[in-house]
Amino acid sequence: MHAGIIFFLVILGSVLFHIFTPWYWTDIASNWGSMDDTITLTFWIGGGVFVAVCLFMVYCVFKFSYKEERKAEYKPEDKKLERILTWATTLGVAALLAPGLVVWNQYVNVPKNALEIDVMAWQWGWQYRLPGEDGKLGTTKIVNINDNNPFGIILEDPYGKDDIMIQSDVINLKNNRPVKILLRSVDVLHNWYVPQFRAKMDAVPGVVTYYWFEPNKVGEYEVLCAEYCGVGHYAMRGGVKVQSEQDYEIWLQEQETFSELIAKQKKIELNETKLAKK
Amino acid sequence: MTEDFKDNKVIHAQSSETIPGGAGGSVPDLDYVRPAEVSDQDLYHGHSFITKWVFCQDAKVIGIQYFCLATFTGIIGLILSWLMRLQLGFPEAAGFMTAEHYYQFVTMHGMIMVVYFLTALFLGGFGNYLIPLMVGARDMVFPYLNMVSFWSFFVAVLVLLASFFVPGGPTGSGWTLYPPQAILEGTPGSGMGIILMCVSLILFVAGFTMGGLNYLITVLQARTRGMTLMRMPLTVWGIFTATVLAMLAFPALLVGSLMMMLDKLLGTSFFMPTILKAGEVLEYGGGSPILFQHLFWFFGHPEVYIVALPAFGIISDLISVHSRKNIFGYRMMVWAIVGIGALSFFVWAHHMYVSGMNPWFGFFFATTTLIIAVPTAMKVYNWILTLWRGNIRMNTVMLWCLGFIVTFVNGGITGIFLGNVSVDVPLSDTYFVIAHFHMVMGIAPLMVIMGAVYHWFPLVTGKFLSEKLGKWHFWTTFLGAYSIYFPMHYLGFIGVPRRYFEMYDSPYMTSAVGMNEFISLAAFLVGAAQFILIFNIIKSLKTGKVAGKNPWQANSLEWLTPTVPPEHGNWGDRLPVVHRWAYDYSVPGAKEDFITQTTAPSEVADTKVEKT
Amino acid sequence: MSDPKIEGYEFKPGFGGMAADTASDQTMFKGVHWGKAMMWIFLLSDTFIFSCFLISYMKGRGSTPVEWPNASEVFGLHVFGVDVPLLLIAIMTFVLITSSGTMALAVKYGYEKNRKMCGWLILATAIGGLTFVGMQAFEWSKLIHEGVRPWENPFGAAQFGSFFFMITGFHGTHVSIGVIFLFIYAYKTFAGHYDERKRGWFTSMKGDYVEIEILGLYWHFVDLVWVFIFAFFYLW
Repeated sequence: MHAGIIFFLVILGSVLFHIFTPWYWTDIASNWGSMDDTITLTFWIGGGVFVAVCLFMVYCVFKFSYKEERKAEYKPEDKKLERILTWATTLGVAALLAPGLVVWNQYVNVPKNALEIDVMAWQWGWQYRLPGEDGKLGTTKIVNINDNNPFGIILEDPYGKDDIMIQSDVINLKNNRPVKILLRSVDVLHNWYVPQFRAKMDAVPGVVTYYWFEPNKVGEYEVLCAEYCGVGHYAMRGGVKVQSEQDYEIWLQEQETFSELIAKQKKIELNETKLAKK
Repeated sequence: MTEDFKDNKVIHAQSSETIPGGAGGSVPDLDYVRPAEVSDQDLYHGHSFITKWVFCQDAKVIGIQYFCLATFTGIIGLILSWLMRLQLGFPEAAGFMTAEHYYQFVTMHGMIMVVYFLTALFLGGFGNYLIPLMVGARDMVFPYLNMVSFWSFFVAVLVLLASFFVPGGPTGSGWTLYPPQAILEGTPGSGMGIILMCVSLILFVAGFTMGGLNYLITVLQARTRGMTLMRMPLTVWGIFTATVLAMLAFPALLVGSLMMMLDKLLGTSFFMPTILKAGEVLEYGGGSPILFQHLFWFFGHPEVYIVALPAFGIISDLISVHSRKNIFGYRMMVWAIVGIGALSFFVWAHHMYVSGMNPWFGFFFATTTLIIAVPTAMKVYNWILTLWRGNIRMNTVMLWCLGFIVTFVNGGITGIFLGNVSVDVPLSDTYFVIAHFHMVMGIAPLMVIMGAVYHWFPLVTGKFLSEKLGKWHFWTTFLGAYSIYFPMHYLGFIGVPRRYFEMYDSPYMTSAVGMNEFISLAAFLVGAAQFILIFNIIKSLKTGKVAGKNPWQANSLEWLTPTVPPEHGNWGDRLPVVHRWAYDYSVPGAKEDFITQTTAPSEVADTKVEKT
Repeated sequence: MSDPKIEGYEFKPGFGGMAADTASDQTMFKGVHWGKAMMWIFLLSDTFIFSCFLISYMKGRGSTPVEWPNASEVFGLHVFGVDVPLLLIAIMTFVLITSSGTMALAVKYGYEKNRKMCGWLILATAIGGLTFVGMQAFEWSKLIHEGVRPWENPFGAAQFGSFFFMITGFHGTHVSIGVIFLFIYAYKTFAGHYDERKRGWFTSMKGDYVEIEILGLYWHFVDLVWVFIFAFFYLW
């Protein structure tokens, strides 16, 4: 009896905890509200099944606890009941799966107008590159990376010259403009994850992975690394500033392009050689 | 399975039928069971202490050896989890712990619990002890190989523990051992640690293969007279199917470990692309890190079911015995076990939705993953339908069973979140995942292990465990564990990523501090509660109530040995002859509320019993 | 193959028979020796190991950006002033397949209790296996001499050397283990252990000619795997 009551309280407690929890997801700041919706749906269906099964169990505990004089029912199987349960479950599972697949389809198909951003990860930090006026990112190679070429851009590639380099772990994004995050890593696995955007994907050395989202709330957010990448994993943070169009343009103007960087480097080298000659 | 035998002696369960009564001789061949096909097994009997207890070939002793060694490593895993929770809940009290230590503890805790504790305990421990007894064999079919299996496991554990003492310490690359970080500087234990881990895993796989061959052939080829596959207790079905999975899944782990070791030792680039570290390009190039993930999870996902299926089987038997009722839908249960086992080979990449693999795989693996939910749900329904109209003994064993149902359903439902590809995206790599898999493959199987210990302790030792201590043990463990993992899901919703040594003060994460402290306290309590069991075992061995033969009035063969505890060879002079399935409880018309598997039909004439 | 005689059990043909065997008590594979059933299941497991290797090889070959070396050049042999592609491999494959034939004959004579013939044929199989391992050692040393290493090679992608040495090495280990057992079994056959049903030194189980068939299964499997390795490494 006591056992039944405690189990009942556990179920009740779980439901109450879910209703009154102060811990729940952060306010969404991207277009992936559909992911929240699928979670909510799964909660309703799944939670319903959990509560139903457990309450049934508790009922059995109350009703059928051991009595010397009673004999249990002898019923090896019930074809009809089993069939009904199988189909009901299949239906429930399909109801969960279908929306999940629809959202995934949106997730893997990037809208045409998405702004491509090269997110480069290393142990343990981030930096970003935006396409210049030509709207295209230059191709890169890890072996090209050095102080003068922090992204390893192939110098012969004409698209690379006007790329905008942001050698900071904070990136600014334009509000309501979809972005395609192109992830790459120079050493181990990483994952560029902003909880408020919901979306995430691993950065894998050797390949470029991607995902997309559309920020829709102006503000500052923290970037977390969500794939274990060694001892500094927990400290590998970054930032995102979602800005209105005007603010974003102002910020963009202040950023340096690759050719500007090369010019600056050359100037420094020239000065150094002059100094050496003197 | 639908084919009837010509002689009509073995018929599949279809409809209830009254066994023809009438004393003596009217149906002379009613009890007929075909003679034995193979001659009795030739056994090596140990003579000295060493051959009887150390290098022993008796499956029962080997089972106990497995059980003890797995429990020992499990306690190490438990202590590691305490240290992790100390860091997460009370970082100021864990000043001695660096991030390196933390990640090493995380890794070793995971690996120990999944492979060296749960797998070894269920298959090596329960498998060895129960399979021969439950199918009516004298021993495993290759006793010598079985002994070598245990000692390989022993060496594997030694190598694993040795890695704590090598320079750099054990590997800290997470239990998934993902390259490139597993073998690169910047990850703790990337030198000797990871090498020893790989060696230990290879030894484990080799040892396990020897054991697994034994379990499979014993079930397939060494059953006693009358024991058809569809009369076996579900425990045997669970362990058998899990072993099949292990035989086919462990090869991937073996290959992955071997290739990673070569990457580390010889400088091959199986998993290593071009890498830039500290401004220098390493001498690797052209390999694929995702290949390792595929190999790992091709092992890793069946591994989940290698732990879960024996648990499913055992819990079915415990529920049935203690609610004095047949397991509901036995054949459905068998097919569900087999079906889940088969499907488990087609779902592995649901661990990799955000790994950077081709995103189009997501559709396929989400579908297969959610299909698995159907047979699993059927099993849950059948457990609770077994309770329905039963006569439930509310003893410690049953409490563990009920605890299992609650935690397993909870963990199973959260599995549907994570299996459903786009729902997984926001939740993967957060605390939601940790809460999910601890609930479903940590706590739920633990509930089964504990139930099984309380259930079979009288068989192994001849004494009951103390019920009073058992109830204390159960309630602290169940309530404690539930309050660790249920709230932890909500940390995942906030977005707290897993494997974080420190949270810092991210604005939305500060609210998690209080919860982390609470969870840590609960974890300390639950860990400590496990020592109640150890105390209970020691106390009961000394002063426990003597159990006698078949103390739970069960039907299956392990309780029907001529001596309790069973001796080497199990059955004395004559092997048992089986006439029915293991679930004839509360049969209408029968005197007792149970009819053992060896009871001849003529002895229970006039009962309305299912033909099996 | 005819069904074994089992008292009180009637065999049925076709799938119905399979279902009946499965549904019957005691054994699923009627009349099959425990050791033989074990070897089949072990080989199934081993198949998964080799499959993992070969699939990894395909993936590795696909993912490396460097050109894969041309197999027929790398494995070519220069004899009598002519370049013959794949000559050594052809001989190796021939020897291994032949040894499978002698193994099959050994099993046959074993069951006929023809101790001498059986022993000689096992010995022939062992020598075939040894020749194979020897030629493989020659090939390895030739490649190493040419600069092929597990971590690099002068012909192209480094993964070529890695996979080649790993997979042929793993297979070679299988062959070597087989050869050791073949020698032991040849000795046991000549010494009459199977006729006397002498107990084994380790396992203390009675000897039986079926052990030769079990080893034969392993040997044929090792040959079969070689065919796949041959196809994937040398012909692709």
